Amino acid sequence: MNGLLLVWLLPLGGAILCWAFGPQLGRRAGALGSAVVLVAFVRACMLFGDATGPTGVHQTLVTWVPGFTFGLWLDPLSLLWTLIITGVGGLIHVYSIGYMWSDKAIARFFAYMNFFVFAMLTLVLSDNIVGLLVGWGLVGLASYFLIGFWFYKPAAVAAAKKAFVINVFGDIGIMFAVFALFAATSSISFSDIFAKAGTLSSGLLVAVCVGLFIGAAAKSAQVPLHTWLPDAMEGPTPVSALIHAATMVTAGVYLVARFAPLYSLSPPVQEGVAVIGALTMVMGALLGVAQWDIKRILAYSTMSQIGYMIMGVGVGAYQAGVLHFFTHAFFKAQLFLTAGLIIHALHDEQDVRKMGGLFERMPFAFWAMLIGTLAIIGFPYSSGYFSKDAVIYGALQHGHPVLYIAGILTAGLTAYYMFRMIFLTFFGPYRGDADAAEGGHGADHGGHAPSWLMQLPVAILIVPTIFAGFVDFHSGDAPSRWQLFFGTLFNVSNNVAGPVWPIPQTASSMIVLVVVAAGLYVAYLRYGTPAAQLASVDRLIAETKAMPLALRRAFFFDDAIDFAIVKPARLLGGAISNFVDPHVIDAAVRDLVWIAGALGVVFRKLQTGLVRGYALTIVIGAAVFIAYFALLGAAR
Amino acid sequence: MDVDISNYVALSAVMFFIGVTGVIVRRNPLIALMAIELMLNAANLALVAFARAWVNNAGHIFVFLVITVAAAEAAIGLAIVVAAFRRAKAVDVDEVARLRG
Amino acid sequence: MIAFYCLAVVLIASAVFTISQKSPVYSVVGLLVNFITLAAFYVTLDAEFLGVIQIVVYSGAILMLFVFVIALLSSGIGPFTEGPNRLPRVLLPAVLTTLIAFGFVAYGALHAPMGALPAHVATSTLGPVGSANVFGSTADFGVALFTTQLLPFEVTAFVLMVAVIGVVLIAGDAVPQTTRGSHAKRRKRRTVQEREPIVKVSRS
Repeated sequence: MNGLLLVWLLPLGGAILCWAFGPQLGRRAGALGSAVVLVAFVRACMLFGDATGPTGVHQTLVTWVPGFTFGLWLDPLSLLWTLIITGVGGLIHVYSIGYMWSDKAIARFFAYMNFFVFAMLTLVLSDNIVGLLVGWGLVGLASYFLIGFWFYKPAAVAAAKKAFVINVFGDIGIMFAVFALFAATSSISFSDIFAKAGTLSSGLLVAVCVGLFIGAAAKSAQVPLHTWLPDAMEGPTPVSALIHAATMVTAGVYLVARFAPLYSLSPPVQEGVAVIGALTMVMGALLGVAQWDIKRILAYSTMSQIGYMIMGVGVGAYQAGVLHFFTHAFFKAQLFLTAGLIIHALHDEQDVRKMGGLFERMPFAFWAMLIGTLAIIGFPYSSGYFSKDAVIYGALQHGHPVLYIAGILTAGLTAYYMFRMIFLTFFGPYRGDADAAEGGHGADHGGHAPSWLMQLPVAILIVPTIFAGFVDFHSGDAPSRWQLFFGTLFNVSNNVAGPVWPIPQTASSMIVLVVVAAGLYVAYLRYGTPAAQLASVDRLIAETKAMPLALRRAFFFDDAIDFAIVKPARLLGGAISNFVDPHVIDAAVRDLVWIAGALGVVFRKLQTGLVRGYALTIVIGAAVFIAYFALLGAAR
Repeated sequence: MDVDISNYVALSAVMFFIGVTGVIVRRNPLIALMAIELMLNAANLALVAFARAWVNNAGHIFVFLVITVAAAEAAIGLAIVVAAFRRAKAVDVDEVARLRG
Repeated sequence: MIAFYCLAVVLIASAVFTISQKSPVYSVVGLLVNFITLAAFYVTLDAEFLGVIQIVVYSGAILMLFVFVIALLSSGIGPFTEGPNRLPRVLLPAVLTTLIAFGFVAYGALHAPMGALPAHVATSTLGPVGSANVFGSTADFGVALFTTQLLPFEVTAFVLMVAVIGVVLIAGDAVPQTTRGSHAKRRKRRTVQEREPIVKVSRS
């Protein structure tokens, strides 16, 4: 079978098998699911050479009508996403075997995870806008399944619904854009659309790009459609790692990068994209400072980092933005998986105020989290260092000084809240409950997973977390491997005149490092000093009380949406169900029934049973007939 | 034919409608049956007249058949009246209204 | 001409007489006059065979059937009907309707053109009784009945058979329905139903 088809369909096969034979498979579904994704990864690696060739790997699926050809396309952009989805995804699958070891519905979990991989692959591998849209919708569905996996928890169900509804809102935007593109170009395939991109009117381009970005904003949790992401942490931690950190939320970045030819032709929309990305970047960092749930800290951090990516592709620095996606997938997945280790060890405790002192108890988790944190703040020569610098400097290069400064400041904030998390989690006295302190699992826990299942993927992820950035390492003016990888894919934007302020890149990196160090130092002063650690319980109580209302309520976004949209919708629904349904719709049916009955009563009066009456009626009818034939029949 | 055909048609029609009136007005089933015979004979008259006008004895054959069928129908009708009379002492067309709705 | 009008008057008068008499015996007599007049009409229309058939079958057989039935039913002289008139004052509407219908028929008869007569009319022989090629004679009728119109003839025979069977079934000595027997059956049915109520009707 063609390699690309195998990569695409293998996860679907795994999902179907896990769905159909869940009760029989039990825990073995985990092995099946992981194997399927890892095999897909290997096969995708084998296609590396062909994909970076001149035309990429093309696989036509079906031609419905001319202009409607569905197929798969592996070019550098989709190859990158495919490798991350299957590679990091495969590692997370293995991790999930351990994490979900004692869950009764483990087979269903792996069915959903495989289904998600299949859906995301559909999204990135499609060579046409309709296939992308299909993948887009399926990914939202998979996210709904997985967030609400523990469906007996009302909070999880509510979070799943919230994520799905906000995604539907974004779907409207992207659907409009897809339809407009098809109407304008009479074709659905990317190659045709990009070839005709120059012929589209600027108004249409703006509309299409805005529509696409609305979809991207919903999927990638950009302001103002970001409120679903923190709540999505109700799902199991592997779900948060795979979907809401590494892959699904980056679908928006993929979308903007894929449609680079269109975006580069409408600079105002690009500006808007960059501004929203920057706004999200700053807001995510600000909110990350105020969180007490370890997964929410990471969720807001994800929001902020994706803001970086969107800002990168928005200013036109596509390679920088995509590089940040690449590195972020590794360190964010690793951070989430490590957080999962901690949560699992503390018997499902997620509140940072109840942690502390885990440095001695869980050294492996500490080092893993430290390395991930160093990557995310941009420690020199870690993976995040390369990508963050590329994005920040790219903003300056493409003429956005304000965004440049915002990027630098956010880097400082990132350092602050990430190290706040580290200090609160691993240092100071242990502040949690007594039974969670002993490791939590009594004899009646029902078996425990072999710990290597959860630790191995984390360990494997440490390597790219440290070294992945070096793909963009270049000396002087020679192109880096990253730039060679993408070739001419992004040679669409041509406004790289030069940095607005004459700051060379090395100096810019220095400025960023200084700000980052400052953030780290502030975090140390507040949480890391020995005095702070000793008094941590009192200080945390004080800090909880003193948290500003705006930060506690996430800048009131949820309240605003509730007031402006949810309440009116509820009123409308109530009005319709209490009034329209019984009095209008039911009344119509009742009236029809009444009419039928009334007609029956009337016609029953004709059935007298009297022969003479019937005879009279017959004669009357005969008279009519005779009249017709006498008057009109003659003139035939 | 010394009289125009339309006279025979009119005569046949008059006799037919007298029979119709008889069916509607009378409540005695026997009289009703006799009125039905009147109607049939009116049709026969028209048929014979037209057979004579076109000099075609298919009309005669038709009349023959009508007479036969009228005989059969009269027999059965009277049998029904007799059977109904066995149940009730008097028979009234209006009373036999079991098929009312 | 005169014959036509005289016979027409008798025809109509006897028809009205038939339907307007209280006693069925009088109606039968009126009907008899009507049939004989019709036979006379048939003869004037060169349908001798049919005229004879009319008298033999209609007045001879069918009217006798009527007479027998009147005699069978006990109250043959007095008023026959009991029960209220459920369609009172219907004479006027009935007459009006029939007059209207007749008006249309007359109009149609007068204004509908009769097509061209076939060629053989002028040359057909309307001669003395008896010959086979004479229109309306018995021989002519018989030839037609047994050659070209054989199928209707056979079907008519079938119809008559069905009528005989029907009469025997309806009015003949069928299964005796003695009151005692039917009451017993009804009693049995009731007790069975009382013992085993099969369906519980629930109000929902």
